[in-house]
This record gives sequence, C-alpha cells and structure tokens, in this order.
Amino acid sequence: MNNNLLTVSTSPHILGRTTLRSMYLEMMIALVPALLVGLYYFGAPGLTTVVLAMAAAAATEYLISLITKKPSTLSNLHILLMGLMMGMILPPGAPWWLPVAGGFLTVALGMSIFGGNGNYPFNPVLVAWAALAISWPEAMGAYLEPMALGSGDDWMEAETFLMQLKGDIGTLEMFELGTLWIGNVAGGVGTTGTWALLAGGIYLVIRRLIPWQIPLGALIGAVGMGLLAVYTDERVAEMGFEEFSAYLNIVWLHLGAGSFMIAAFFLGPEPVSSPVTPWGGLLFGLGVGMMTIIVRFWGSPLDGAFYGVLLMNAATPLLDRIRPRVIGKVVSGA
Amino acid sequence: MKLSSCLKGIRLPRPPAAADPQPLPAPEKVYLPLRQHQGAVAEPKVEPGDQVMMGQVVGASEDFESATVQATVSGTVEAIVQMPDPSGGMVPTVVIANDGADAWIDEPAATEAALASPEEVGATRPSRLLRRVREAGLVRAQVQGRPLHVDLSPPMAPQSYLYMTGIPVVRPIDTLIIKAVDPDPPVCPNASLLGEAGDELAVGVAALARISGASRIILALPSGADASALKAMAAQYEWETASVCQTSYPFAIDHLMVNSLTGREVPTPYGEPRDVGVSVQPLSTALDVGSVLLTGRPVVERVFSVTGEVKKPGVFRVRLGTPIGEVLDAAGGGPSQAGKVVVGGPMMGLAIYDLGTPVTRETQGVFVQSAPQVQHFADHPCIHCGRCVAVCPVNLIPSDLGKLCEFRMYEDAAEQDLMNCIECGCCAFVCPAQRPMVHFLRHGKTEVLAGRME
Repeated sequence: MNNNLLTVSTSPHILGRTTLRSMYLEMMIALVPALLVGLYYFGAPGLTTVVLAMAAAAATEYLISLITKKPSTLSNLHILLMGLMMGMILPPGAPWWLPVAGGFLTVALGMSIFGGNGNYPFNPVLVAWAALAISWPEAMGAYLEPMALGSGDDWMEAETFLMQLKGDIGTLEMFELGTLWIGNVAGGVGTTGTWALLAGGIYLVIRRLIPWQIPLGALIGAVGMGLLAVYTDERVAEMGFEEFSAYLNIVWLHLGAGSFMIAAFFLGPEPVSSPVTPWGGLLFGLGVGMMTIIVRFWGSPLDGAFYGVLLMNAATPLLDRIRPRVIGKVVSGA
Repeated sequence: MKLSSCLKGIRLPRPPAAADPQPLPAPEKVYLPLRQHQGAVAEPKVEPGDQVMMGQVVGASEDFESATVQATVSGTVEAIVQMPDPSGGMVPTVVIANDGADAWIDEPAATEAALASPEEVGATRPSRLLRRVREAGLVRAQVQGRPLHVDLSPPMAPQSYLYMTGIPVVRPIDTLIIKAVDPDPPVCPNASLLGEAGDELAVGVAALARISGASRIILALPSGADASALKAMAAQYEWETASVCQTSYPFAIDHLMVNSLTGREVPTPYGEPRDVGVSVQPLSTALDVGSVLLTGRPVVERVFSVTGEVKKPGVFRVRLGTPIGEVLDAAGGGPSQAGKVVVGGPMMGLAIYDLGTPVTRETQGVFVQSAPQVQHFADHPCIHCGRCVAVCPVNLIPSDLGKLCEFRMYEDAAEQDLMNCIECGCCAFVCPAQRPMVHFLRHGKTEVLAGRME
C-alpha cells in the first residue's frame, strides 16, 4: 500500500446509491404503468403526443445549452422526465404542434429562465400546461374516445367525465367506478389510468423518492373536501342519493376522474417546487386536494388539480417556514 | 425503539457478525502521542536514550483535562517527534524501540490493593477510584474523547450556555449507559466484546457507577447479536438492558441514544450527556476500568477494528502506539490501489493521510477504501427534494443550511439552527445531487465561530 496516495476528505465516506439520474429514472419507471394504460386505450395518437413532447423538451434543452454555453443536463434525464409528464397530461391526438409547444415551454419558460433544475418556483410542466390551456383552449379540450389496442384506428372525439359532469349532473349515474379507475375513459394520455398512477406513486413513496406527506395530504384533502362538496350540492341531493356510501362513491369517482392522481403523486411532489418540511408537505397536499374539488364544483375550469398544484407551488416558500422542533435546541427562558 | 428512529435516519448494511478480538504481537517501535484525547498535551517525562519499562509514565501533566501516558512496551526511548493524530494535527510523540522483554515496572500503583469484586469497589471512596482512573490515564474510547476522569465528573463549573434555559446548570449524574453498540458500523469494536462478561466488566461498571454517582445503569446492547452472557450479568447485578438497532444510523450516537433511552435531550451544540445527568461509556472503556482496578496496572492494549477493503477484516488487540499501517498489514494488507483510510466508521470517521498515525486510546478502528470506491461529491445545485429533511435525526432543514453556507450567509444559517447539526452525515448520504452537505455545514460552523470571536 503506497503511503503517499491516501485521499483525505470530509465524512461521510460512503454515499447512498441514489443519484439524480437514478432518481429521475425511477420516477420515469413509476410513470410507465400509467403510460402503458394510456397507450393501450389511445394507441398511436397517444404515443405520438408523448414522443413529440419528450423530443421537443430535449431539443429545447440542447439548444439552450448551446446558446448559453453551459453543459447540457440531458444526461441526468430530468428534461426527459419533464417531457414525459408534459406529454402524459396532453389530450391524445392533439395536433402535432401542441406537444411540441408544450415541451418547448416546459423547458424554456418553466425551467431555463429561472436558472434550470433546482431553481424554478413553479412546476415547469404545469407552467407550460397553463400557457397551452390559455392559448389553445379548443385543442386542449379535444379528447379521444378510448379504444382498446387492436380495435382499429377509427378515432372519435369524446368528452371527458368532468366535461360531461359540468353540463349534466346525471352523468354520475352513467359512469362505472371500475371503468373510470381502470382508465377506460376519455382524458389525457397518461392521466386516466388511476390504478396505474396509484401503483407508481406508492412505489415512489416506498422508495422514499417523494415525501409521503404530499400524496397523503392530497388524498385526505380531496376526500374530505369532496364529501363536504357532495353533501352541500343541491343537485346531488335532488338525484336521490341519501346514504353515506353513495356520497362516498361520488368522491371515489372524483378521485379517479381528470388529473387528480397524476397531480397528487407526480406533479405535486415534483422535488424542486414542493415544500421540504413535513408539515409543509402535508398542508401542500391538503391544498392540492381541496383545490381540485373546489374548482370542479364551484369553478369555471373543468379540473382543478393542476391549479391546485400551481397555487400551492406559490405557497411553498411559506410552507417551508413551518419547521419541526430541533432536537437538543436550547430554548431561552423555557 | 422510538417511532422517530423508524422514520428518520438511514439504514446501513448489517455489519458481519463480530468475532473475538485476536491479539497482535507488539511492534518493533511504538509511537505514543502525548495527547490522545480532547484537551491538553502532557509534558514528556522521559528523554531520548532513557530505558523505560512497560507501564512507566512517559508523559503527564498537572492540567485536569489531560491524561497520563504510559509506555506500552519496555525498551529505549529513541526520540520525541511530531506525529499526526487522527484529525491531522501534529502532536509531540514519544518513540520507544521495543526490546521484546515486556517487563512491567513495579510501581506502588501495581501493588496497591487490587479490587476484585463489585462489593469491594462499593466500599472504596469514589475519589480514590477516580484517582486510580486518572493515574492509569484512561480515555473515553472515541475520537475526540475526553480523559475518563473528566468525563465521569459532573461539570466543574456551570456551563454558560445553560443559563436562563430552565435546564439545571449543574446536575448530578444519575444514569450510566454502558454502550455495547457501535454508532458507526461496520467499525464495531464494542460488539466483539459482548462475550467478555466477567469480573473485569462487573468491577468496571461498578466503579464507573460509583465514581459518577449513577444509581441507574443501562446496558445498551445491539439488537440481533448474541448477548446472552451480558444479559445474564445484567440480571445478576440489576442493570437494565436496552436493545439498540445498530443498522438504523445514527441512533447509536451518544446524544440520540440518551434521548431514546432516558427521554432527556442533550443540549446542542456545546452540551454533553453529563449536562443532563447521564454518563455514556463504551463497553471497552468499562472493561479498561475493570482491568486497571483488578490488576493495578495501566492498560497497554486497545481493541481495534479493521474493516472495509482489507484481506482479512477483523478485530484485534493492538498494543497502544502501533502505527495503523502495521495493523493493516496484520489484517492482510490493504487494496492494491490505496484510497482512503478512515479512523472511525465510514459515516463520521476522519480520513488520515499518514499510515504512521498510531493507534491511540481514542481510536476504535479503521475503515479502508480502495481508490475506485472513494466517493466523489458533485457541485450540482440543490434540487430541494427534501430527502435530507426526511432523514435528519435532529429535525434540521439541511438543504437550506447547505445553500446558505454555500453562498456565505453564515449568520443566516446560524439563525436556522446550523449550530445544532451533529454532523452525522445522513443528509450527504441520501442527497441525490451528491452535494457535500457535511462539508458545507462544517465550513459554515467554523465561519460562524470565527465571526463571533472577532
């Protein structure tokens, strides 16, 4: 052993195996089940949307790294994860420029102008989504009727559950809970497979890649606010629902509908824009869940999950001030 | 085990089952630093050319925070040189060439009545016991440990940081925790001593309790290890036992163990367990005390654990003053591409730069890494993921502190409890961006202290 070549550095001398690349890779893997459900029901149009969004995000990052003369961060997969999430919340069969614009806006508007990974205040995917939803509401509202893989390419336009619900409360009786949760409904490419998203999200929680507080808070917030909303909604009462289980079923429908699950498990706990403190995370989640239901029942937009995340992103610096008590800290005059 | 230790901290791989310590032959030269602890340097009592016997005092000091140093071999004093200690500073060191005779000096201390049983210890005055501990120069077995006679006394003067806090400023020690667990696996010298339940331990623990005044004795045993001998002893002498999970790092660190076993919170950053009336002593230290009282002779050996990438990892009984390089050779030699040699465990240990650094009373073991295994930190910005917050055992927000220290806002960091960090390294371990968290926080602490000194 050569005496002169010892390395000296600060502790710790061993590190965990998690790197940025592995973390983002695992997040992408956790999204794969939901993506597969989406591709099963939306086939080629869905695939095109996702691929275009990812390609546009990667190309934008590459161009920006050329312009700013900074090393490209493509290798740590963060950009691809963002592109994937962008593609998954877009309607399948959207015109080609929609996912391209989405991918571009995610990276350029959501991320790079704030200084890249680690510095943006809002979830870049949702910043891009908000820009798209305001700029091209028709294109963003054109969903496809789900068709199982192999049943032709005769795509029909369809309305999502939430769109129909807004117009007619009777829709509640037309949808089956099972169909809705399995993903056999019109919706964004990767947002319909509720079971798949739940499984991927739980995987992330078990692997400790996202804090458990945020999804838990979102579920509690949505269920609690949902029950409150259903109980106070006259239209629901007029339909003759009286038992608690019936009310609860409506809440389960809401959890499976729209983009709640992907917001609760993937877009909400996105590391950079969500709080780090335990109580902050719980409140963040509660806010997301409650906003989802509030907007759906009393707001003019169709779905509130993304607005909830964006709103709570703005509150993140505040929520980060809710610090737990430091063990061993001597409090004067206690 | 408290709920917090399930949710906080990190899980380290279980260390291999501990084997009994193997004795190593005495080296040809021993290097005895005149400071083997936190505190003052002792003055040399020998000169180059002197003949010394085993157990003869080679360094002593009037200073209270200093431990006597004895020769651990018999032979000739060659020189007094400067040698690095584990933290890299230079310490005057007595070099003794071994004559191989291992001849003990017969001092009055050696003939002083040996205390053979806990009852005899109980009948001896604590001050007498303390004097013998001090004469033997025992040191709490821990890097930056204190001389044992300092560690066992209640604080001499009220600690200034405890004023106006509601915590009693001077509190007698009422609880003694004998720590058979090792905070930083896989360096586990204490776990290999689990079988040594005998008179030495009984006398040692009785003396520690008698000196410190503790009435409650808790034996912290590693969970999953075979500690039946110690449990039987605990039942015999009415000690409490507690099971501590070694792999759930860092809950075997003194501060956190005191918290989980007694519910008391050790005040940070300057506090010690004795401020809240608890004394925590490693099992090996208790055995040392027992051996000193039983034989009347100072301790010349140290249980030293060699782990990591060496051919034959194991636990050895090493003569104090043996260069660490020689211990590594005895363990089969290090890897072909030398990387790091860390005194202490992989999470909190100190990387040394000189393999001539001797085994001292404060070292517990080394962790060896080959060059390809040496970890590198990155300069990626913090991504705010909160994994460090989830693991921090003292509930800090390491991500914010790291950022503040990185951008030189040290006082802002101090306001966010930077000084309460215990430097366990969990945040750096889990950081996906591989930021050098401990480095940032230590740097920040140093700058805060330097700023306040001005």
